[in-house]
Amino acid sequence: MKAKTLKIPSYMLLILAAFLVLIPFAWMLSTALKTESEALHVPPILFPEMPQFSNFITALSVAPFLNYFFNTIVVAFLVVVLSTVVTVLASFAFSWMEFPGKDVLFFIVLGSMMIPQEMLIITNFMTIAKLGWMNTYQALVLPYGVNAFNIFLLRQTMKQIPTDLFTASRIDGLSFFRFLRKVVLPICKPTVLTTMLLSLIWVWNTYAWPNLITTKDSLRMVSNGLSNAFTTNSGTIQYELQMSAATLVTIPLIILFVFLRRYIFVGIQSGGIKG
Amino acid sequence: MLKKRDYKAYIYLLPAFFLMAVFIMYPVISTFITSFKEGYRFLTDSFVRFSFENYTGILEDETFHRALINTTFIAFICVPFSMLTALIVALLLNSIKKLKGLFMTLFYLPQVTNIIAAGMVFALIFNNNFGLMNLFLGLFGVDPVQWISGVGIAASGELYNQSYMRCLFVLFVYSTWSGLSLKVVLFLGGLQNIRKDYYQVARLDGTSRWKTLKRITLPLLSPTTFYVFITAVITAFKAYSSVVALFTSTYGPAGDNTKMMITIVGYIIDSLGSYLTAGAVSTASAAAVILMTIIMILTALQFKVSKRWVHYK
Repeated sequence: MKAKTLKIPSYMLLILAAFLVLIPFAWMLSTALKTESEALHVPPILFPEMPQFSNFITALSVAPFLNYFFNTIVVAFLVVVLSTVVTVLASFAFSWMEFPGKDVLFFIVLGSMMIPQEMLIITNFMTIAKLGWMNTYQALVLPYGVNAFNIFLLRQTMKQIPTDLFTASRIDGLSFFRFLRKVVLPICKPTVLTTMLLSLIWVWNTYAWPNLITTKDSLRMVSNGLSNAFTTNSGTIQYELQMSAATLVTIPLIILFVFLRRYIFVGIQSGGIKG
Repeated sequence: MLKKRDYKAYIYLLPAFFLMAVFIMYPVISTFITSFKEGYRFLTDSFVRFSFENYTGILEDETFHRALINTTFIAFICVPFSMLTALIVALLLNSIKKLKGLFMTLFYLPQVTNIIAAGMVFALIFNNNFGLMNLFLGLFGVDPVQWISGVGIAASGELYNQSYMRCLFVLFVYSTWSGLSLKVVLFLGGLQNIRKDYYQVARLDGTSRWKTLKRITLPLLSPTTFYVFITAVITAFKAYSSVVALFTSTYGPAGDNTKMMITIVGYIIDSLGSYLTAGAVSTASAAAVILMTIIMILTALQFKVSKRWVHYK
């Protein structure tokens, strides 16, 4: 009885909070569908009279957005493939192999989690410039190839596999690599998927690094394209088109997240707390 | 485990450590060294001499002071507020069963939203003429507020401060919104880890809900709280893209030439942007070393404090 009466205020507060969180999305979408005069109307209009879906097409033509999408997808794909291979191999070594220097090397991995990416930008920028890799895909991909947090996360999962499985597979004469492929990977699939998703989200939203090392429009990624084409620095903003573009950039990740959110939540929650 | 030495392990680790050596370890060392090179020229890789010039230069630079103040504002004003909000939301979520998944999904959306896109939306919401915020305030009879405006600020210190406060408020609202997602999920994870029997005992004893929260939930949640605080403050110190999206790459409202809303990372990237100028890269390096020192001290401090009063299971 007591518990039930307390739940109604809980729901009301949660609905209020959710409403506040959703306002920016609603405003983005509503503005994206306005005509130019509606977007510039004072005082603002909440909803457009006639949704202008053509704004999305127009926004795509203001800047080479399809090109930005293509670049982002290529870079995201390459980063996910590379960092997954790197992560799986390293976390397997840390969880199932015995070798001199293991603790020291693992400590280095943990320590590098503390180093802010922003500190590395300077030298990496110079490295890329000296290699003549400005405006190349490899410059966008390679620095993201290793992710200490992902190694840490996957190692935790791999360690939970019963030792019996390992002993049995050794007796059966399975090599490490086959053990990894046939036993460990199938068991750790959810966590591997988590690390892939986290890398993907990271790449999709990354801004500072690509902005530094790409100067050509043909190599820009979505965040940079968005900020380049639609800020006051580039002249007057057409807000309805800016918001159309913002919507287009936002939606793919939201769809991905809605379908695979389980993996993201589990990954985040298991990453942190170890009493 | 088998007592064998598996030298093959080094092959498994090679890709990770090769990439780490090139893109993490070497940069840390190199940035540290570069930060002491006076008048470093990137193109010729030459410098005048080793000195503290870059550091003293930064510490006297008003733009860096601004960056430090703004970053501190995000870390120690915005973070605690969004933590409190997230904790309340997580407690509410933990008390319900139906629709919990839906709510969690909704609250997580800001986290998967592109930062640039989100910043643009907030800039538009706070737009002086056709923004939602002024429309909302208008319902209460408040005249439109010039939220992000640099009109007259160059001539008047009073107007400058007023404009600055308003920009900080915009940043505050944005930070609360964008910081909520991760914290809610982490707090909820922590709450779910608390053993149910504690609550059963409390209920049998007839302990009030407020007391249960104060005596059981919050102490047992403290490791999570600390983890959330550490990661959030560190994230706050790295703030950059959000500020660019809200206030454009001039780090302020139109008409401001003081980079009013710059952050430490913004300062690093700005210096780096003019890398052909003598001393620019080394200034950026010194700022990066300062940033890294701050982050390391915070991490160490928080771990130390957390050992003293955090309740471990």
